[in-house]
Amino acid sequence: MLYDLSLHMGYAYDVPASGARHVIRVLPLSLPDRQRLIAGSVTVTPHADEKTTFIDFFGQQATSVLVRAPHERLDIRMQARVMVETPSMTADLSPELDKLGEELAGFWSVDALSPHHVAGPSPRLAEEPQIAAYARETIRPGQTVREIALSLCNRIHKDFTYDTKATTVDTPPKEAFRLKRGVCQDFAHVMIVALRSLGIPAGYVSGFLRTIPPPGKERLEGADAMHAWVRVWCGETMGYVEFDPTNNIPAGSDHIVVAYGRDYSDIAPVIGVLKGYGNQKAEQAVDVVPLKG
Amino acid sequence: MSKAPATERAGQEGISTDPILGYAALPGVADEMLDANGQIKPVWRNLISHLGRMSESELTERFARADRYLRDAGVFYRTYGAQGSGERNWPISHIPVLIDGNEWEAVSKGLVQRAELLEALIADIYGENRLVQEGILPPALIAGNSEFLRPLVGIKPVGGHYLHFCSFEIGRGPDGNWWVLADRTQAPSGAGFALENRVATTRALSDIYAEAHVHRLASFFGAFRDALQSHKQYGEDRIAVLSPGPANETYFEHAYIARYLGFMLLEGEDLTVVNDRVMVRTVAGLKPIGVLWRRLDAAYADPLELNQNSHIGTPGMVQALRSGSLAIVNALGSGILETRALLAFMPTVCRRLTGEDLLMPSIATWWCGQKAEREHVAKNVERMVIGPAYSRLPFFDDNGQSVLGSSLHTKAKGRVGDWLAAEGSKLVGQEVVTLSTTPAYVNGKLIPRPMSLRVFAARTEHGWEIMPGGFARIGSGDDVAAIAMQAGGTAADVWIVSDKPVARPTLLPPEETFTRNMPGSLPSRAADNLYWLGRYIERAEGALRILRAWHLRYAESADPDAPLLADITRYLKGIDIEMSKAVPATLLRNIDSAIYSASNIRDRFSPDGWLALTDLAKTARRFHETVQPGDDASHAMTILLRKLAGFAGLVHENMYRFTGWRFLSIGRHLERGLHMTRLLGHMSGPDAPDGSLDMLLEIGDSVMTHRRRYNVNTARLTVADLLALDPLNPRSILFQLNEIRTEVEQLPNAFVNGQMSPFYREAMRLHSGLAVMTPEAMNEEVYRKLEQEMEKLSDILGQTYFN
Repeated sequence: MLYDLSLHMGYAYDVPASGARHVIRVLPLSLPDRQRLIAGSVTVTPHADEKTTFIDFFGQQATSVLVRAPHERLDIRMQARVMVETPSMTADLSPELDKLGEELAGFWSVDALSPHHVAGPSPRLAEEPQIAAYARETIRPGQTVREIALSLCNRIHKDFTYDTKATTVDTPPKEAFRLKRGVCQDFAHVMIVALRSLGIPAGYVSGFLRTIPPPGKERLEGADAMHAWVRVWCGETMGYVEFDPTNNIPAGSDHIVVAYGRDYSDIAPVIGVLKGYGNQKAEQAVDVVPLKG
Repeated sequence: MSKAPATERAGQEGISTDPILGYAALPGVADEMLDANGQIKPVWRNLISHLGRMSESELTERFARADRYLRDAGVFYRTYGAQGSGERNWPISHIPVLIDGNEWEAVSKGLVQRAELLEALIADIYGENRLVQEGILPPALIAGNSEFLRPLVGIKPVGGHYLHFCSFEIGRGPDGNWWVLADRTQAPSGAGFALENRVATTRALSDIYAEAHVHRLASFFGAFRDALQSHKQYGEDRIAVLSPGPANETYFEHAYIARYLGFMLLEGEDLTVVNDRVMVRTVAGLKPIGVLWRRLDAAYADPLELNQNSHIGTPGMVQALRSGSLAIVNALGSGILETRALLAFMPTVCRRLTGEDLLMPSIATWWCGQKAEREHVAKNVERMVIGPAYSRLPFFDDNGQSVLGSSLHTKAKGRVGDWLAAEGSKLVGQEVVTLSTTPAYVNGKLIPRPMSLRVFAARTEHGWEIMPGGFARIGSGDDVAAIAMQAGGTAADVWIVSDKPVARPTLLPPEETFTRNMPGSLPSRAADNLYWLGRYIERAEGALRILRAWHLRYAESADPDAPLLADITRYLKGIDIEMSKAVPATLLRNIDSAIYSASNIRDRFSPDGWLALTDLAKTARRFHETVQPGDDASHAMTILLRKLAGFAGLVHENMYRFTGWRFLSIGRHLERGLHMTRLLGHMSGPDAPDGSLDMLLEIGDSVMTHRRRYNVNTARLTVADLLALDPLNPRSILFQLNEIRTEVEQLPNAFVNGQMSPFYREAMRLHSGLAVMTPEAMNEEVYRKLEQEMEKLSDILGQTYFN
C-alpha cells in the first residue's frame, strides 16, 4: 500500500516564546520488509534558525530545531510518501509465559532491538499493582505470550472507552486505568504496564493510521491525529509483534510506524520547553491517503 | 585486645586529664591508631604525645579555633529533613586520621587501577558492549538502569576519556586490608570540603602539623586544573563548574572549588546552545564554554534529550556533545558506574578488561538476579545487607533502604528466599563489613569510632593522580550505618605521613611567569543577582529609615493617629509594609530576598560579607518577635541600620571594582533614587501634614546639611533642592542618577558601533533631565513621572544585560 501522509501540528502561546528548541519525531521509519519511506520532509514556521537531524538510540530520525525570535505560534508540518507491505499472517511461535523468562535471560544484548530495554519500568511507566492484578486475572494457564497479548488487547479495548476529553498527554497510566477512559496513548500505556508486570517486555510505538477506511470497513479510532500502539516481545523466534489496543487489532498495513520507544516520553512527536509559557493551545491535523492498493 | 598503659603510649608525661587514657580498640575490629598488639603505630606517636601533654582546656581552645575557622569561612552543607532543608555547619572531627605514606602508596596503586577499570567499563557500556555480548555483564543491569542514558550511546567524549574525576569510599576490614565500599563517578563531592577540613585542622594543630611530614593537597588540585585547561579546543573557551544551584546540599563546595581554581560557577540557565556550541550568557554577550565540570546529575543536564522534567538543565547540551564541541567532566551517563549491583561483577570485569586481578577488592556483593547468587544470599542472610540493586548510594548511606539480615526476626529470615526469588533482579546482597575505628575526641577523651575514607582521583596530563589525603567519615556511634553524614556523623582530615620531608606546592605560579588576567566575563544571572542584591539591601535601608523616624515620633506622642504618623502609615501600606508589628514582616522578606540573591553568587562573595548579611537577618528576625513600638523600635532600627552599614561597608571596601561591582552599585543607586523620589512625591506636597519636611530630612539623613546650607527653616523648596537636586548630597535623586550614569558608561556594550546603547542613552537622558530642573518645578507630577522612568530604566537594564 502506498500512502501520502501529511501532518500539521500547531501551537499558539499566550506569551511569545523565544529561543525555543524542540526535538521532533514525526517522519515514518524505513523497516525492512515492512515499510519504506520514499520521501519525506519536516518544516517549521517561523523559520528555524538551526535545524539538524540525528538518529536516536532506537534508530529513528529526529529533527532538532531552534526558533530564536519571539513567536506566538509554532507550526510543524510533515509530508511523506511511504510504501507499506501487507503483513503475512504468521503462526504463533511464541513460548508460554514461564519459558519467556529464560529466553529473556539468555538474550545477551543491549542493542536497540533488545527486549531488555522494555522489560522493566521506564520514565513514564512505573509498576502499578492494580494494573498488574488486572493483567493476572486476564490470563489463563497455558497461554502463549502472543495469546496473552491478544487477550489483554481485547480486554482493554472492551473495558476502556475512547474519550479524547478524559485525559491529557501527561496522564499517568494509573489514572487512565482508574477512569477506564482515554486515547491511544493511554490504551497503549496501560497495556504496556500490564504486559511488563507479567514479565513480558513491551514497548511503545508511535505512528499514523490510514484516515479513510477501505470500502465496507469502519473508520479506525485515532486516525485524525498521530496514533500509538504497543509492541510485544514474543520470544526469540517471533521477536516483536505489534498490537493496537485502541482498535483491538494487530498492527497491519493500515499502521505506519514513526518511532519505537519505552514509553511516550522517549518518542513524543514534539519535545521542547513549551511549558511555563502561560496557556497554550495545540492543534493537530493528519491526512493519510492511500495512492493505490 | 591488650591495653598499653597510658603513660607509655602518650610519651613520658601522662597527666590526669590524659585524653588517651583508656583508649582501646574494640574486639575484633582494626584500629587506625593502634596496631594488632595495642601499640601506637609509629606515624601516630608524635601527634599523640603532643595531645597527651595538653590539658583539656588547651585542647578545647585549639579545637574551638578550627570550628571558628569553618564558621567564619562559611563552610556549610545542606541537610534535608522533615522540617525542610537547612544549612548545617561542616561537622569536623578534630583528630585527623594518620596513614603511613608507604601504606598509602599501595592504596593509591589500587585506586589508580580502579579508576582505569571504571574508564574501560564505561567505554564499553556506551560503546561496543562486549561485556554484555560475552555474558559477563547481565543486560538487565544496563538496560534497566535509569542512569543508562541512551542518547549518549555512541558519543565519543572529547579527548577520548569519559572519566576525569572520581572518588572512592574505602574502609579497612578486620584483617587490616582496605576494601572499596563504593565508587563515585557521577559528580563526586567532598574534595573542597577536604581542603577546608585540612585548613581547619591545621588551625587547631598548627605546631604538630608543621613538624609532621604530611603530604600537601594543593598540587593535586593544580594538576587537575592544568588538565582541564588542556581540554580546551579553542583559546577563547571558558571553563566552568556547572552547579544545580544553591538548593543543592554541596553548593558551598561548588562555589568554593570554582573560586579556588578560578573557574566560572554556572547553572543550567546560564547556558544556551548556539550552533552546537554551549555558550554562557554574560553581560558582554554569549561566550563559548569549552570545558564543563558538572556537579549536576547527568539526567538533569538537558531537558530535551534527557529528563524532560528538569528545570535546571540546558536544552541542546546533548546535541553539543554529539558535535564534539564540549568536554564534560565526567561524561554524561557515567553515573551508571555507581550502581550497587555492578560491584558484584568488578572482579570478572577487571580480569576481562585489564587482564589483572583487582588490587583492592570491593565489598563482597551478589546480584540476586542470578540463581546461584540468590541462593547464596538467602543461605547466608545472617551476614548480609540486602538492598536495591540499582541504587547508586552505598548501603550505609541510603537512608534506610537496605535491610540488615541479622536484624530480621526468625520468621522473616525464612521468607528471604521467596522474597529474593520474586524480586531478585532488583536486589543485591552485600557482606556486612566491619570498619576500622579511629580516635575521636568525645567528652574530653579519645574513643574509637568507625570510619571510612573518601579518596579522590583526578585524571591529569600524567595519568590518574590520587589526592594524598581526603577526608574520613566518622560514625557517631559504634554502628557502621551511623556513618551516614546526614545522620549526624563527622568528618576528619586525613594526614598521609611520610618519613621524609614533603614538597610544599601552592597553586600560585612561580613569580617569573606572573601575568595579570583581566576578570572574566560576568554571567548575566550573576549580574542580575548582584543588581537585585543592591536593590534589596537599599530597599531594606529605606524602610528602616522611615520606620525609625515613625517610631521616634510615636515614642513622643504615643498617638498613631496623629496626622503625620497616620500619613506615613498610609504611605508604608502603599509600599506593602504593614505596621502591625514594630519590625514588619515585609522588612524580613526584603532581607531574605537580599540573602537569596547573595546565595546565588556565593562564589563572588567574601565570607565576611556573607556573615554580616546573615547576622543582619538573624537580628531582624529576633527583633520581629520581641521589639515593641516606640522607643524600643527606634533603637532596634538603629541597630539594624548599623548592621546594614557594616555589610555595605564590607562590600564597599573590599569588592573588586569591575563589572559585578557596577551592577550591585547600579541596583543600590536606583533603589535609593526610587525611594527618595517616592517619598518626596508623597511628603513634600503643599497638603503634607505638619512636620513632613523635617521628617523627610531625617529620613534622608540630611538634617545637619540642611541647617548648614540654608539659612532658613525647612521649606518645600530647600528640601527639594537638597534631597532631589543637590549633586553633592549622597542621598539626593540627582546624585543617584549621576552615579548610575557613571557606572553605565563602564559597562560592556555601553556603546554599540560607537553609538550609545538604548540603556546608556536612557540613563543619560534621565540624569540630564533632572540636572536642569529647579526646585520650583519639582512637584508631585514630576516625581511620579520620574519614578516611572526609573522603573523603566530598570526594565531596559534587564533586557540589555540579564536576558
